Amino acid sequence: MISFIGRSVIQKIITLFFVSIVSFLIIHIAPGKPSQVDPMNPKFTPEMVERFQKEFHLDKPLHVQYLYFYKDLFTGETVSWKDNQSVLKKIWERFLNSLPLFIVGTIITWTLSFPIGIRSAIFRGQFYDRSATFLSYLLISIPGFFFAYVLIIFVVNQFHVPVIGMETFGIGDGASLPYIFMDRIWHLLLPSVLGATGGIAVLSRYVRSQMLEVEGQDYIRTAWAKGLPPEQVHYKHALRNALLPFVTMFGLILPGLIGGSVIIESIFSWPGMGRMAYEAILARDYPVILTVNFVSAVLVLAGTFISDLLYLVVDPRIRL
Amino acid sequence: MNKKEKGFNKNFQLETPLAPKRTRLQEFWRLFRQNRLAILGLFIFILFFCCAIVGLFMTSGPDPLLDPAMIRLQEKLRPPLAKPNLDSLRREEIPYLGFYLMGTDDLGRDVFARMLQGAWVSLTVGFVAVGISVLIGIFMGGIAGYFGQHHIRVDHVLVTLVLISGAALVTANFIRSGAALLCLTPAYIFYFIWSQNRSGKKTLPLWAKVFRKNAVSIDTLIMRIVDIMLCFPSFFLILTVVALLPASIYNIMIVIGLTSWMGATRFVRAEFLSLREQDFVAAVKTLGAGNFRIIFRHMMPNAMAPVLVSATIGIATAILTEAGLSFLGFGVPPPHATWGNILSDGKNFIFDAPWLTFIPGIAILIVVLSFNLFGEGLRDVLNPKLRERH
Repeated sequence: MISFIGRSVIQKIITLFFVSIVSFLIIHIAPGKPSQVDPMNPKFTPEMVERFQKEFHLDKPLHVQYLYFYKDLFTGETVSWKDNQSVLKKIWERFLNSLPLFIVGTIITWTLSFPIGIRSAIFRGQFYDRSATFLSYLLISIPGFFFAYVLIIFVVNQFHVPVIGMETFGIGDGASLPYIFMDRIWHLLLPSVLGATGGIAVLSRYVRSQMLEVEGQDYIRTAWAKGLPPEQVHYKHALRNALLPFVTMFGLILPGLIGGSVIIESIFSWPGMGRMAYEAILARDYPVILTVNFVSAVLVLAGTFISDLLYLVVDPRIRL
Repeated sequence: MNKKEKGFNKNFQLETPLAPKRTRLQEFWRLFRQNRLAILGLFIFILFFCCAIVGLFMTSGPDPLLDPAMIRLQEKLRPPLAKPNLDSLRREEIPYLGFYLMGTDDLGRDVFARMLQGAWVSLTVGFVAVGISVLIGIFMGGIAGYFGQHHIRVDHVLVTLVLISGAALVTANFIRSGAALLCLTPAYIFYFIWSQNRSGKKTLPLWAKVFRKNAVSIDTLIMRIVDIMLCFPSFFLILTVVALLPASIYNIMIVIGLTSWMGATRFVRAEFLSLREQDFVAAVKTLGAGNFRIIFRHMMPNAMAPVLVSATIGIATAILTEAGLSFLGFGVPPPHATWGNILSDGKNFIFDAPWLTFIPGIAILIVVLSFNLFGEGLRDVLNPKLRERH
């Protein structure tokens, strides 16, 4: 166990090192320059461009820039080139905005896909199963931005509530507390439902196939033969064993924390992580892009690590 | 079919060799036909393919039948099936069909013509991007699965490092020292061949043995590269690269292809690892077939099934990604229409002209859905394990 943890931590650190190199190279070798040091930019005189280049260490060779950047990152001193704010602070603020979307989206995904998946496994091949299957293909295939507009039209026409942004503009003055609360809920609902659609479709299919796998086992036949009522067979004998792989999936939702959906956040003018990353890409704000990339790589690696560990804990058959 | 079988039964003898009655393809088709959704997917896919090709011919060239770039400001935001106002149009501005099948957009351009033009973009992006990723996947997965147990030695790593740093120095304008490093590599290779020919089995000196040590197996190396690639958030990575590169549809295809080969690599590797141990491969090996023949003639056809399925679903994902990118304003430069940017332009008129949102949106939905259904149907048919259960 200890040796497994040690080995995989070392392996993940090496992977992270290469990820940092690759992302740094992609950003810096790609054609074009940040607008502050672009000689074509009429806003800056050559002296200013030179000063910026010194400030950003852009006059140094690449490997020195790499060392400078990651030294700054680990000491927490990285600043955005666009507004000179601390990158980590910026990311933290945006992360707090994205967090409600992520939490509500995850709750919707996990609470809906399990009943749907289990039910369609129990009624395999019947009308319910077939329509759930078709519906989940539909949800996987629908482009998020199109679905967003369909939902916006529907909600705005039916319920006459505003949905764009995090809250209605200027609502702070004089509105009652329940009103503000409902307003926030309405604004939160659509983006998080959209964020959950793909997840519901994929996860419910996965639940269904896991349930089918278990329902075909011998011990389920034994349970039926004993004359147990169907609820007990499905939910006590089958479901408990089918749940095993899903415990490990808790680790894999970790990267979603920082991902945020660029498209959905820009449609709903939601000031979250995805939007920030998108704006940083447009402004060629290298420190922000690289930091977001680095943090998300850390989360991916941590997620796989946690899911490996959970496997070890949950399944006594696995020995390393 | 029925008659033939009866005839067969009449002359039935035990000595007749019992070859399978159907070829592989017939068997595949028989199973595939039972899946109605998959048939629907295949049908829509063929329809889409024809539309895209017909659309390419009708909307390109110097004098296209349906001009997607023709601006008629007096005819803007006409609903679908609207008749054009003939008095206000010049002769060449009248739409070919006599009416606007899918309406017009905010500049009075014919949405039907633009959709046809965009179909070709979606089709090529899907196929080229997936083609690139499958090729890389087969190559990397094949090497990892077939030659995976071989090791890369320390001197290989050193030579590669020297080569890379030489190339980097040349690009950074230190031409002389870079060229010296670049020349060092062939020199080492020649020295290596020469020393091998000369010394035969003579033991090497101790310091040279360090260079002959095994550093890492090929399999580990390739799988670590896959792990590294999987660490990047894919849409964010694609967005970054596409935003930094000059806008062009080819860049999008290449970038999507280069960021989605990991799945195919894993599938091919897994298949190769199990196929390599099977008897028919051993038989072919004893017959003296070369590696190349074993891989491409005997192992690859058996390893293709999961790759084919993931490629079909990959096409759907690539079309969605491209639509998302052109929705955000990257990709094909503006006068050229794609389904994503028709929708993105139309979103400003969502309450006045909903067809500008719904037509491209539903088109993307149907095409992506057809690929997904077709892919799932393929998976059911090609995977014998799943077949038995259902």
